[in-house]
Amino acid sequence: MFKYVLKRILIAIPLLFGISLLTFILIQITPGNFFDTLKLDPQVSPQTIAHYEKLYYLDKPLLQQYLHWLKNLLHFNLGYSFYYNAPVSEIISSRLFNTFILALSAMLATWLIAIPLGIVMAVRRNRFIDKFLSIISFISLSVPSFFLAIILLYFASKFGGLPLGGMQSANFDQMSFVGKFLDVARHLVIPTVVISIGSIAGLQRIMRGNLLEVLRKQYILAARAKGLPESRVIYKHALRNAINPLVTIFGYHLSGLLSGAALIEIICSWPGIGSVMLTAVRAKDLYLVMASMLMGGVLLFLGNLLADILLAWVDPRIRYD
Amino acid sequence: MKRHNKNIFLNIEGIKKLLIVLVVFLCSGRLVFAQDKPFDKYGGQLVFTTTSDPRSFNPVVAKESSTSAVIGYLFEGLTKTDGETLEVQPSLAKSWKVSDDGLTWTFDLREDVLWSDGKPFTAEDVVFTFNDLIYNDNIPTSSRDIFTIDGKEFKVKEIDQYTVEFILPMRFAPFLRSMGTSIMPKHALKSSVDDGTFNFKWGIDTPVEEIVGTGPYLLELYQPGQRVVLKANPLYWDKSDKGEKLPFIQRIIYLIVQNQDVALLKFLEGETDSCEVRGTDYPLLKPLESEKDFTVYDLGATFGSNFVVFNQNSRVNPKTNKPFVDPIKLSWFRNLAFRKAVAYAIDKERIIQIVMNDLGFPQYSAMNPSAGIFYNPNVLKYDYDLEKAKKILNDAGFIDRDGDGIVEDSDGNKVEFNLFTSSNSPERLQIAAIIRHDLEEIGLKVNFLGLEFNNLVAKLIGIYDWDAILIGLTGGIEPHFGKNVWVSNGQLHFWNPGQEKPETEWEARIDEIFNLAVQELDDKNRKPLYDEWQMIVSEKLPLIYTVLGAGMSAVRNKFENLNPTVYGGVFHNLEELYIKENYR
Repeated sequence: MFKYVLKRILIAIPLLFGISLLTFILIQITPGNFFDTLKLDPQVSPQTIAHYEKLYYLDKPLLQQYLHWLKNLLHFNLGYSFYYNAPVSEIISSRLFNTFILALSAMLATWLIAIPLGIVMAVRRNRFIDKFLSIISFISLSVPSFFLAIILLYFASKFGGLPLGGMQSANFDQMSFVGKFLDVARHLVIPTVVISIGSIAGLQRIMRGNLLEVLRKQYILAARAKGLPESRVIYKHALRNAINPLVTIFGYHLSGLLSGAALIEIICSWPGIGSVMLTAVRAKDLYLVMASMLMGGVLLFLGNLLADILLAWVDPRIRYD
Repeated sequence: MKRHNKNIFLNIEGIKKLLIVLVVFLCSGRLVFAQDKPFDKYGGQLVFTTTSDPRSFNPVVAKESSTSAVIGYLFEGLTKTDGETLEVQPSLAKSWKVSDDGLTWTFDLREDVLWSDGKPFTAEDVVFTFNDLIYNDNIPTSSRDIFTIDGKEFKVKEIDQYTVEFILPMRFAPFLRSMGTSIMPKHALKSSVDDGTFNFKWGIDTPVEEIVGTGPYLLELYQPGQRVVLKANPLYWDKSDKGEKLPFIQRIIYLIVQNQDVALLKFLEGETDSCEVRGTDYPLLKPLESEKDFTVYDLGATFGSNFVVFNQNSRVNPKTNKPFVDPIKLSWFRNLAFRKAVAYAIDKERIIQIVMNDLGFPQYSAMNPSAGIFYNPNVLKYDYDLEKAKKILNDAGFIDRDGDGIVEDSDGNKVEFNLFTSSNSPERLQIAAIIRHDLEEIGLKVNFLGLEFNNLVAKLIGIYDWDAILIGLTGGIEPHFGKNVWVSNGQLHFWNPGQEKPETEWEARIDEIFNLAVQELDDKNRKPLYDEWQMIVSEKLPLIYTVLGAGMSAVRNKFENLNPTVYGGVFHNLEELYIKENYR
């Protein structure tokens, strides 16, 4: 197992290297750089702009710039953000926690709702509840999440009750601890619903399918033939086997959550890394873009790795050695 | 300890005494309140929205204006520009005098100013700000460009603890106004200059307590992506006309939102106290004024301009040995009649109607109508006149000879060119579309393309690969600060930048005007010069101005002393505002 993990990590290094090189080239082949906005200010001289470019290493040939960035990276220095005038690591870490809160809340909502729904649908197959939930899930799968976010924000502005984006109210600092918790929770409702609704629909379909397949297995027939109560058959024997493949999905889910939430973060003014990434790309804030792309790559890799390890752990049939 | 407590509770006599003391204390307190009514002005908070995070708390390093909104309340300069009269007023300097030759300026500093950490403000801080920060070659700052004239710096010298002397290399009219630049604390920043870390000092990752200023407010909290909170500076020096300590409002909160639409919704929800109003928002907001208890203030024309410029660059690209502009096109763009026809063909009223919901102003002069004394309202005006435009074009030899709707020049070339604008500005894209339509009416074929901002700038002032561009500049009240656009060797002299010597007579005259006017210290003498410059621009049309938006703001009816202006905005006198009692 250890050997397998080590091998995966070794493969990941050239992959991440490739991602960073590609990102770097893509930003650099588009015309201009961050300081172009300054060039249109009549009060700023070309010397001052040249000075900035020198300070941030932008006056060097491209290859040298990339190697400079790579060298800093190996010293765990992600570079300096032109836009925010602060180290990139500071910018990202100040926002990562907020993204994490949203991702966690969306993940909890997805799994705690989708799994029970999937079980209900499988057990009551072809009954009214199954068909009803199927229709609902098809609808929620097909509504684009950004559109849903806008609709929900519209209703919130029309009827009140829920905050219009953001993560904390203006007077958050004067609230008690419980008040702060409830305030963030209120702000979480809309983005959480939007992010999780699609995955709930998807996950419950998978859960339903898995459980139905297991219920057709011979050992279930045997369990029923033994005269076990139906609840025992389902929850003790069938469910455990049906949930195995979902572990893989859990890993992928983990890697996708941080990047998948970006769009919703932007629409809902959630102060996470999504909006920072957008600003960085639009302003051509080179090192911030590089760092956030690299981080996305690392998360994807870690999520996949975790999924594979978990699978080996829960399913004795899978061995990597 | 315990026994002591017990004693107080058991001893009735003690309780009586305590009560009497308390009653007397409360009564006297109430008496003080009753007599000293203005005391009631203190308190309350003001909630704004802003669409971008602050990018630095260091005004020397800050590269952009969006940051200055937040940090403007933390620092002060020697002078300030009054938001209403646009006049220069004393701030950290209480008075100044200038020598007869106009080169030596002596400032008397206020002696009662403390930095927010309690240290006194002195002449050392002023000298430090200029000599160690602004004129420090290791610190890239655009302030240096303002305080450098023809490559020469000001000599800044401490005379005594509260007197500073500036010696200028030549007479410089905007000097006093430019002295509004933020003065920084020497005691807090000297070490970072010495060890070379100043460029990264007071970034947004700095703990807020470390930031020391003299302004009316202090930084209390910054939550990235969420809000910036300022609190009243208890050591602030300024007093109201009645001698009350300023500021009255105790807390200012900037909510950071993604865009203007969210800001508007938050305002309507009652979460914020003020909100910028775009032309398209006006019909939505105006009817809600009384129901939601706010007022929409119409402040007049905003400072951002929109103009069309044609590329008149006659030089040859040294890399390819080809001219930057196709010589055929160049002959059109250099033809004054062609530019005049374009100016007459642009329907400004329709742009205002469609793009700005009827809330805008046509622009004719290179100075903004809100700019006060230097604005010349008597320049040539090009109001929409299709027939006149067609006639000018025909007289200049641009005639549609083959009847396909597109005119040809006298050599038979069809007049077709590209018009670029920034795709990041939805408003400008709309304006460009209308202009394209208008120009087709007079037989000019325009290929209109929205370019990403960086790309546009690269073409405009980097590789000069463009025909016509619709763009704008953020204007101001000091014409000299636009010098780089107007003098013929300026890098932003868009139509023909960086000329070694002026190619036309009128450009030579504009160069001369800017050189003369900057040395005239009396605004009355500067005015005729800048009037002449605006007249020349309207005659020669290097830039064809279009429209200006109306600056509007909606403000909750909770403030007293409010006096909104287009230059200073709604809250230019924030430290003097107070919140009505029933809104606290």
